[in-house]
Amino acid sequence: MRTFFAEAALLESLREIPARVGWALRIKILPALLDLTFLAYVWAATNATYSYFRFGFLSFSLLPWWWMVIVVVAVGAMWSAWDQTLGMKVVNRELSGETDFASRFLYAVLWPFFPLALLTAPFDPKARTPGELLAELTLTEVRLITYRPWYRTLTGWLALIAILSTLGAAVGVTKVEPGRLVTGFEKTIKFWRAIFSPRWDLLGLGLKLLGETVFMAIMATAFAVPIAVLLSFLAARNLMRGPLGRLIYVILRMIGSFTRSVDAVIWAIIFAVWVGTGSFAGVLALFVHSIVDLMKLYAEQIEAIDPGPVEAITATGANHLQVLRYAVIPQIINPFLSFTLYRWDINVRMATVVGMVGGGGIGFRLIQYLRSWAFPEATVLTILIILMVWALDWLSARLRAKLA
Amino acid sequence: MPHLVVENLTKVYERGKIRALFNVSFSVEKGEFLVLIGLSGSGKSTLLRCINRLVEPTSGRIFLNGVELTKLSPRAMRKVRRKIGMVFQQFNLVKRATVLQNVLAGRLGYNSTLSTLLGRFPKEDLRRAQECLERVGLLDKMYVRADQLSGGQQQRVGIARALMQEPELLLADEPVSALDPATSHSVMQYIEQINKDGVTVIASLHFLSLARRYGQRIIALKAGEIVFDGLPEAIDDRKFKEIYGEEAEEVEVR
Repeated sequence: MRTFFAEAALLESLREIPARVGWALRIKILPALLDLTFLAYVWAATNATYSYFRFGFLSFSLLPWWWMVIVVVAVGAMWSAWDQTLGMKVVNRELSGETDFASRFLYAVLWPFFPLALLTAPFDPKARTPGELLAELTLTEVRLITYRPWYRTLTGWLALIAILSTLGAAVGVTKVEPGRLVTGFEKTIKFWRAIFSPRWDLLGLGLKLLGETVFMAIMATAFAVPIAVLLSFLAARNLMRGPLGRLIYVILRMIGSFTRSVDAVIWAIIFAVWVGTGSFAGVLALFVHSIVDLMKLYAEQIEAIDPGPVEAITATGANHLQVLRYAVIPQIINPFLSFTLYRWDINVRMATVVGMVGGGGIGFRLIQYLRSWAFPEATVLTILIILMVWALDWLSARLRAKLA
Repeated sequence: MPHLVVENLTKVYERGKIRALFNVSFSVEKGEFLVLIGLSGSGKSTLLRCINRLVEPTSGRIFLNGVELTKLSPRAMRKVRRKIGMVFQQFNLVKRATVLQNVLAGRLGYNSTLSTLLGRFPKEDLRRAQECLERVGLLDKMYVRADQLSGGQQQRVGIARALMQEPELLLADEPVSALDPATSHSVMQYIEQINKDGVTVIASLHFLSLARRYGQRIIALKAGEIVFDGLPEAIDDRKFKEIYGEEAEEVEVR
């Protein structure tokens, strides 16, 4: 019996290993790595700022790279020993124990060896870094919040330096030169003159193209809605129970967020290659984007329904279809219509942009005019687009207010 | 033969391993008005939902008119549910639908799936809906959206929906907890009237004073077990403290 229990205990502790290592990674290793990354960034940003404003060129490391390593690690060690660092804040830890100068100094010296904590982590539920062990200081959860104004803390100063150097580096990287706004102005005079003399004889053509764009949006929305409705029920967490349901849910949500993260303009470029430039490519791009967007919006609406009516209708002896029809659909129908209108509104606006990259419609013609410096022509189309977007915005807002 | 028999009913919620009911047994005679009391979380709601199997019991048996409900297939259970009306603490109406649509939903189990999916109900049901709404005094609100009504009115719609089922058993899960005292009595009187018409009622109530006023018999639950089963008069101060804990003070709802 004894050996059996000993073996069981061993098995138990083996099973704990992943959790222990995970804990050590989360509490001891990742915060320190976060601090090092932050300091390396501050190094790069300060170097960029200094070099740009002092010498007029951009350099992210004026000194050799090993200088950066030494400075970052040294500052990181001091920061960790004398203050609550960014990483420590993230995991809500602070250094506690005999915090006199000697132990803090020892902790700082040993701090660079923090990854060694991973060596003992599989066997020790509370793995410690060399600094913690030898300096007898431990990272414990923050208990007493001792308030110090930011300018009395190292973290505060580092944050200030990070913010200022970020702004400085940003000016350097984007080559901001306000002076050029003045010196370059006269070159645009021809452009302004053209803009204020629109070619009104193109109005008919413009309206035709505008119609094409609106129909692109209608097509994309109309075909996306039924598919999105079907998929949304499969992508609603509260309906998809059980292992198979959860799997479908996760897969659909993953495909959805991936497809949505690829911008409609990129989809338009893909489809322009696939089916050739023109309205059809634009419709397809909007169609794909609308499906996944509406699927997410619809599914979230289904997830937000009140379960009470579902329970009540089930209690009357209704079957699943009847419950769907009498408890679920009445709760989601108006939000669904509202989202559909909203998406159509977006699609009309996006149809213009999608058109510019080969998706047909008014956008395609507009970009052609702009490329060939035909500004009087471009102005007509731009005015039409503005009017249409404004009118649709107003219309769909009114309709959606009615549906609320 | 008793109307409803519950035998050794136990319910353990798998998630969190919470034991909601343990070895609960009792029986209810036809036409009885039984009141369940107990603290929040004592298992009253779970017990009511086990009876119409909105919640699946972990073990134990439930008989209605001698038929073992716990053995029925989902389809057969739906048939039985038609005869079990239920009203809820939060009324559970479809807020965006009209009062009439909510009340008609009580007939779903009696009509064919296809015609109800198309939203069609027999004339007979429409007439019945008007009758039920008249009984709860809301005939003039028939075409009003449910969310336009006050709490008390919504609960009366809930009662009308249950009446549409022509129930022989009415389960009421804290039907007046979301209402003010005056409205509480008005709603309880509708339920009492249904009971007088021969429907067996099992209602969970928060206030002992309401339980005493309306119940013919009281069952008290504590941590999922029956700690009292008897006449309302038999609950004295000592028994009260046993059910609700030493700290409790009895509060009157007038």
